[in-house]
Amino acid sequence: MEKFSYVNATSVEQVTTLLSDSRWGEVMLVAGGTDLLGELKEYIETPKTLINLKTLPGMEGIKVDETTGLTIGALTTVADIAKHPTIRHHYAVVAEAAGSIATPQIRNVGTLGGNLCQRPRCWYYRDEATNCLKKGGDICFAVDGLSKYHAILGGDPVYIVHPSDLAPALIALGASVKIVGPEGEKTMLLEDFFTLPAANPFRENVLQSNEIVVEVQVPPAKPNTKSFYLKAREKGAPDFALASVAAVFEMDGKTCASASIVLGGVAPAPWRSKEAEAALTGKMIDDSVSRQAGADAVKDAQPLNDNAYKVTLTQNLVSRAAMMAAS
Amino acid sequence: MASWGEASESRLIGKRIPRLSGKDKVTGKAKYTFDINRPGLLYGRILRSEVARANVVDLDLSEAEAMPGVKAVLPLVEVGRQIRYQGQEIAAVAAETDDIAKDAIRRIRVDLEELPFVVTEEDAMAENAPQIRDDWAGNQSEPNVREEGDINAGFEQAAVEVEATYHTPVQTHVCLETHGHVAEWEDDENLTVWASTQGVFGVRNDLAGHFNLPANQVRVITEHMGGGFGSKFGPGVEGRTAANLARATGRPVKLMLTRKAEHLVAGNRPSMTQHVRAGATSDGRIIAYDMKGYGTGGISSGAGFQAPYVYHVPNRRTERRNVAVNVGNQRAMRAPGHPQGAFAMDSLMDELAEKLGMNPLEFRRINDPSEVRQAQYTLGAQEIGWHRRNSVPGSGTAVKKRGIGVGSGQWGGGGGDGTQARVTINADGTVEAVTGTQDIGTGVRTAIAIIVAEELGLNPTDVMVKVGDSGPGLPSGGSGGSQTTASVAPVIKTAAAAAKQKLFERVAPQLEASVEDLRVGNRTIYVVSDRTKTIKWELATGQLGMESISEGGHWDRELRQGGVAGTQFAEVEVDTETGAIRLIKIVAVQDCGLAINRLTTESQINGGVIMGLGQALLEERFMDPQTGRMLNANLEDYKVPGTFEIPEIKSIVFDTHRKVTGVGEPPCIPTLGAIANAVYNAIGVRIRELPITPDKILTALAEKKA
Amino acid sequence: MPDKEKKQGTNISRRNFLKGVGTGTVAATVAPSVLIGAEKEADAQTGDAVASATIQLNINGKPYQVEVEARTTLLTVLRDGIDTSGTNIDLTGAKLICDRGECGGCTVMVDGKTVYACMMLAMDAEGKQITTVEGLADGDNLHPVQDAFVQHDALMCGFCTPGFVVSSAALLSENTKPTLEEIKVGLSGNTCRCGTYPFIFDAVKTASKKM
Repeated sequence: MEKFSYVNATSVEQVTTLLSDSRWGEVMLVAGGTDLLGELKEYIETPKTLINLKTLPGMEGIKVDETTGLTIGALTTVADIAKHPTIRHHYAVVAEAAGSIATPQIRNVGTLGGNLCQRPRCWYYRDEATNCLKKGGDICFAVDGLSKYHAILGGDPVYIVHPSDLAPALIALGASVKIVGPEGEKTMLLEDFFTLPAANPFRENVLQSNEIVVEVQVPPAKPNTKSFYLKAREKGAPDFALASVAAVFEMDGKTCASASIVLGGVAPAPWRSKEAEAALTGKMIDDSVSRQAGADAVKDAQPLNDNAYKVTLTQNLVSRAAMMAAS
Repeated sequence: MASWGEASESRLIGKRIPRLSGKDKVTGKAKYTFDINRPGLLYGRILRSEVARANVVDLDLSEAEAMPGVKAVLPLVEVGRQIRYQGQEIAAVAAETDDIAKDAIRRIRVDLEELPFVVTEEDAMAENAPQIRDDWAGNQSEPNVREEGDINAGFEQAAVEVEATYHTPVQTHVCLETHGHVAEWEDDENLTVWASTQGVFGVRNDLAGHFNLPANQVRVITEHMGGGFGSKFGPGVEGRTAANLARATGRPVKLMLTRKAEHLVAGNRPSMTQHVRAGATSDGRIIAYDMKGYGTGGISSGAGFQAPYVYHVPNRRTERRNVAVNVGNQRAMRAPGHPQGAFAMDSLMDELAEKLGMNPLEFRRINDPSEVRQAQYTLGAQEIGWHRRNSVPGSGTAVKKRGIGVGSGQWGGGGGDGTQARVTINADGTVEAVTGTQDIGTGVRTAIAIIVAEELGLNPTDVMVKVGDSGPGLPSGGSGGSQTTASVAPVIKTAAAAAKQKLFERVAPQLEASVEDLRVGNRTIYVVSDRTKTIKWELATGQLGMESISEGGHWDRELRQGGVAGTQFAEVEVDTETGAIRLIKIVAVQDCGLAINRLTTESQINGGVIMGLGQALLEERFMDPQTGRMLNANLEDYKVPGTFEIPEIKSIVFDTHRKVTGVGEPPCIPTLGAIANAVYNAIGVRIRELPITPDKILTALAEKKA
Repeated sequence: MPDKEKKQGTNISRRNFLKGVGTGTVAATVAPSVLIGAEKEADAQTGDAVASATIQLNINGKPYQVEVEARTTLLTVLRDGIDTSGTNIDLTGAKLICDRGECGGCTVMVDGKTVYACMMLAMDAEGKQITTVEGLADGDNLHPVQDAFVQHDALMCGFCTPGFVVSSAALLSENTKPTLEEIKVGLSGNTCRCGTYPFIFDAVKTASKKM
């Protein structure tokens, strides 16, 4: 790590002011630090100042309200999300996703906000000496290089995958994210928070340089809902997803009243598969319906040299989730 | 003739005894090289090349030298020389803190003229590849060809043939304590080095040579060390650099490799690619074997592998080559050449058996000349439930399919002469055993205590064992080749016996008995023919006064033996939708000769199995042909087994004879073939490239379907 | 021979190889034998930026005062830190192994929860109860986990052992009777290269009987 100065944040206003007064990358935010410190250690980022968000009051904790739903502060740790009784019971997809993240030590300090805003794990991006497109270079090295862990959907021109497990799960539940900037706060669908490299190759979300994520809101759990987070990995832990599926179903017996299918580990952003959702909605789920949903989920996939297996894998995970809903 | 006696006579040898270093290791008190804090300690760091091949045009250390807190900057490459792999040393820094040292190496300016490089075997062997070694045309060594029998006649007798290509990628050692040293000069001519090494005396001799000092003026200490697996013998560039930085600054210097450098320059297991054609007779004998293969050990040679392996093949031809790439060099890694060869051979055996319509275990029984393994097959098959395997591989419609497989291995490990040791009995009754070996985690310290305690009628905790220090001047060899215990144990035993003899001679007159009539047990010396005559241990030793008994020993060949056989059985479950492999159970039947300590021996077998399963399912070094750099020089994308990968492991210490042999390496060998064959048995598709990862399973299943 | 660099469109250049050289340098005034490399700019409590500070840490029930830079990790303080009274903290049980929060060698407890000390800034540990492997035993009486690790030979080279011991102790403090699967989850943030896992699982089971 290069040297930096450290500020314990005292208010959101102070944070947005400090961010507004600096150039991009000069001042960075840190909460759990489990991602950022890795970037600093690799000299991928060399900020002059880090703002410690952990000292901000009122940004940690989980609130449950029958009418407004679930509110999770951005500083809530992944471990607290994974073990929260209401989340486990009514929002299983989130608890399962949280429990699948990294390791106990990471879950104990990693935060919701950090998990949503973490940077890609791409091995070209994480190598200081490789000046890839994402870091202002000319090409994405995954295109002609080793691409086992890269994107099959939405990649062009940067084939990273978004590493978050919580994002697909929360998007599948229709979550919103509350953002505060110098002009005040705004709320948007978490689905719209993430961007693809075609829009901006350097960033994974729409957060402006002087904005911060303060909380995530999840609508009240609907009755007859079943939800799952299926994550395929090479290694039990710690390992990022080769592919994952966050799936939320409203079921009427074996018939799917509505489905929400969001893929992780296969695209530069959490990837909502409207195609798979359409293939399931209103259908009585059986083997062939679930297979069709899987096939539809990956019909636009464009694998690179080494990751065609992800197409099959994703397809199978979607089918499996659908069958689980019906069983 | 010296012997270890019968099992029934052993009070300690062969029992399960917790290791002596346990308490220090679980409380954090054990000091590894990495933990050595010396007064005035400086921290060393090395700047390494990020490019695979380049000419060094200019090197400017001045900015780093001018930094506050920087005490020395040394060049490690000359301008005009060539960089030949990523990670090659450019310059080193010693500074007041590790962070300053890190800052300083980033302020060294090196001007590199990049050259075309090759980092994969395929690129190195391509027609227009840049020539990266002057002595190897096409970047390949001259083939090493061996022939035995008549291969053509062999194939004529064959009823079935298999032709296949098997591949294992480069694996790295991943020593958790990286290579490193703390070097401290007492004066211009006396150097002490704490080294994370498998060879205390090897490091001493290398450094003494480097600094042109008498060997006894260099002292090397390795009280505890965090894993070597074959990669930690000499001091290496980093060790000599630590000593040079210490000399330049007049202060102690600690220089540990980074995790990244550990992957890049601290050794690796070479890759293997072999194309083999083999035939078997209708009655199940492998009759012909024709193999062409290559591997890479980096820019150097050393990419050998065993082929054929274990099983007897009368007619064979083998051709091996080394391929040079611009990557850091190989070093010995746990059973060098064996796991690669075993994976290919055991896969081939199953493929031949299937063509013959024969049970793979029966096929092995016919072709395996080892009587020990024949017995192990029976035991292992029983333990795993061999009868439960799929009679038709891949049959059934379940999403998750189970299969069972078998693999085999062999090793030498009989030790060697050259160890010196002393066993000392002091007047206060304490006993010391000193030798220059090192405990790299195998438990030799405890084995020494057990042997001495057994001989002197004491408990292992009564024996103070000093190893891992060249200071006493009692040399022992490096801990490699599974040779340590078989090299050390006979010397310790004979030394302890000699010390006991001396003590008996001292007390025999007062007990009015002959020395031959004396025994010791339960801290008491007694007369065999008249049990009423006894003397307590402390009373006996108390008579020694200032004259401690201190005896050396010798390497009695009769106390050790080389050559061990092993076999393993694996049961796996393959999720055919995700390609995930779950290991259910591994049975490891390992010939161990005389296990001095059954507990630590079981630990070693477990450890071998787990390293083997890592190689089978997870581990692979990824080199990027575009940048020439290793893409996974970390522990995130270089994946070693964690808790979830561990199945039920049944480690069976298979007693064969009462002579000491080595068992550190052999248990990592049969695991690969056993797992690969189990996967085939589960899904009916053969994966011929390690590691067997979900992408390969899914791709193979899709190809089968198509 | 075609120019590999151009042909493959890579963007490696000498400039990039030296990326970071000279960037963001802060005039460094080095105080030997302490961890800081820059002058203190302001106090952390006020919301102003600090490059370094003297912080109070409570480690294994003992107070320490140490000067750190903002970038100094908790692990660096534990292992290499020097108290302002001049004594080495020298708690070297926690190891630096992967340096990226992947292997668990540096596991310590902060307010009773396991963390990777290599991925935590020392300033963030101020005011918290830090427990290292050295703080688990009660004098000569080993923690049940430590005792069970020795009896089961749940260690070989022992370099990962302090991390596993701390993770095991933390696991049992939350779940006194874990199943094998729960043990695997609880210890999934720790890596052993010697392959001691089976005996570690046995040791945790044995220790759980004494909790």
